[in-house]
Amino acid sequence: MSEKLSPGEARAPGHSYQEAIKKDASEPPASFLTESYEFLGDADIPYANYTSKDYADAEFEKMWPKVWQMACREEHIAETGDYQVYDIGELSVIVTRTESMQIKAYYNACMHRGTALKSPGDNGFCESFRCPFHGWVYSLEGELIDLPEDWDFPHVKGDSHNLREVLVDTWGGFVFVNFDPNAEALSEYLGVLPEHFKDFNIDDRYIETHVCKRLPVNWKAAEEAFMEAYHVKETHAGGAEFSEPVTTYDVFPENVNRFIHTVGSLNPRMPKAPSQQELMQMLWGRRGPADGTCPVVPEGMTARDVYARVVQQQLGASYDQDFSGYSTAQTLDSIEYFLFPNLFIFPGLTLPMVYRFRPDKDDPDYSYFDLYFLRPKHPEKQPPPPPEPLMLDIEDSYTQSEGLGFLGAVYDQDTDNMAAQTRGFKTSAKSGQALGNYQEVRARHLQQRVGDYLKK
Amino acid sequence: MSEIIHEPLALNSSEVLELEGESVLLCNSGGSHFAIRNQCTHQNSPLAGGRVRNGFISCPLHGVRFDLSTGEPRGTLTRVPVKTYGVRDEDGMIVISN
Repeated sequence: MSEKLSPGEARAPGHSYQEAIKKDASEPPASFLTESYEFLGDADIPYANYTSKDYADAEFEKMWPKVWQMACREEHIAETGDYQVYDIGELSVIVTRTESMQIKAYYNACMHRGTALKSPGDNGFCESFRCPFHGWVYSLEGELIDLPEDWDFPHVKGDSHNLREVLVDTWGGFVFVNFDPNAEALSEYLGVLPEHFKDFNIDDRYIETHVCKRLPVNWKAAEEAFMEAYHVKETHAGGAEFSEPVTTYDVFPENVNRFIHTVGSLNPRMPKAPSQQELMQMLWGRRGPADGTCPVVPEGMTARDVYARVVQQQLGASYDQDFSGYSTAQTLDSIEYFLFPNLFIFPGLTLPMVYRFRPDKDDPDYSYFDLYFLRPKHPEKQPPPPPEPLMLDIEDSYTQSEGLGFLGAVYDQDTDNMAAQTRGFKTSAKSGQALGNYQEVRARHLQQRVGDYLKK
Repeated sequence: MSEIIHEPLALNSSEVLELEGESVLLCNSGGSHFAIRNQCTHQNSPLAGGRVRNGFISCPLHGVRFDLSTGEPRGTLTRVPVKTYGVRDEDGMIVISN
């Protein structure tokens, strides 16, 4: 315990993430060297924030209709007439590509008697939106273009019954919607994200894998499970000594936070540091090809730098691309940015994930987790179309998805904690959860941002 | 069992054929040929003219998507699969059978 420090000032023993990557042979992006931690308090987070139906209802009323949220990727609606339905709570929006290749978003409800025009979560193609009830037809631009038996509707005039638009904008290949017509611009809402992502060309990526799983836990607790690397040692390494990653936790105004942790660098807590060659052997055993010979780390180089080059070559061969321009940190590290309220983007090369979490509309104890792998597009080749999502229920294993590779089992480990956490929320003798000041600051940031909207 | 022999179709296109009195839609999605009954199981309108992409056809009327290999629908407008037919390649020609 570091009793002389103010709350939030204590750090793990040894070097920081920033100090670690400054030793890399290649220069990391400047944004990786930024530290932006802020002590946000140490009060318990009430379990009611996760379990209360009233709290969930308040989120649906005051928060979800006011925030920018990712509806899909641009490649989901690549051609005129492509559409994607995005559902959040009782709200549903159709995002589509118009004749002029604009992206537009409409409330998913016929202006006649309210029938949803498209099924929940649906995607596909249509030349116009035709209501299956009475056949009212809307153009891709949202105009009512066919009103059957129009003699009976003298009160439907001009554009009075065109589809109602929802705010839509794009960044990084993601399509965002906001149900609040007076919302701040997406570019403002994104804060530091565009600047921090300028070295990653996140818009030039395609969806390789998409899994959507129902989770047995509140959406915020599900997100919080992925917001810290504190759990890695116990959940993913069986409590193995010195398996704590060296991690930076940062909070940026108002809607962004992140962690980045090293892969393949020395854990400063080890009493006797292994040699770089021994470290290389460990890395090679973990993820290198079983039939290959472990490379020799040249004098003056680190295992981490050598391993990064190997990974670049392996992935370069797999995807027929040149990844040698990525720095060691960009190549290896777990780089996880969060955009409030529900989007996580990993722009790194080895870990290429995007997460989106959504609450179950009826039960605060359940949520939905869209997990995507995004890979860099080939500069000349056409990427494959977005895959149909693999739908997994609570008891289904992520290992059913071949595309997740070894990470399928890792996500199962995370999911196992979730049902247990929901049960514990309800039996605990204590009314809320304690959070680490540094390592779990992102969870507190999320809670405070939700609270900000609920107070409005 | 009856069969029809037909030339391969252009990429992502479809063509209406008749097999023993049934209207059949032959589709080429991404280079693979599929044959389904030319009638949407939602409101019985023809599927002909629907866009063929990525192993699916979208009904031109309300957009119900059907998996061309299984006939299974997506979404909630219908739960009834559309009938599928056997398709094989013989000497560069497409053979459709019921």
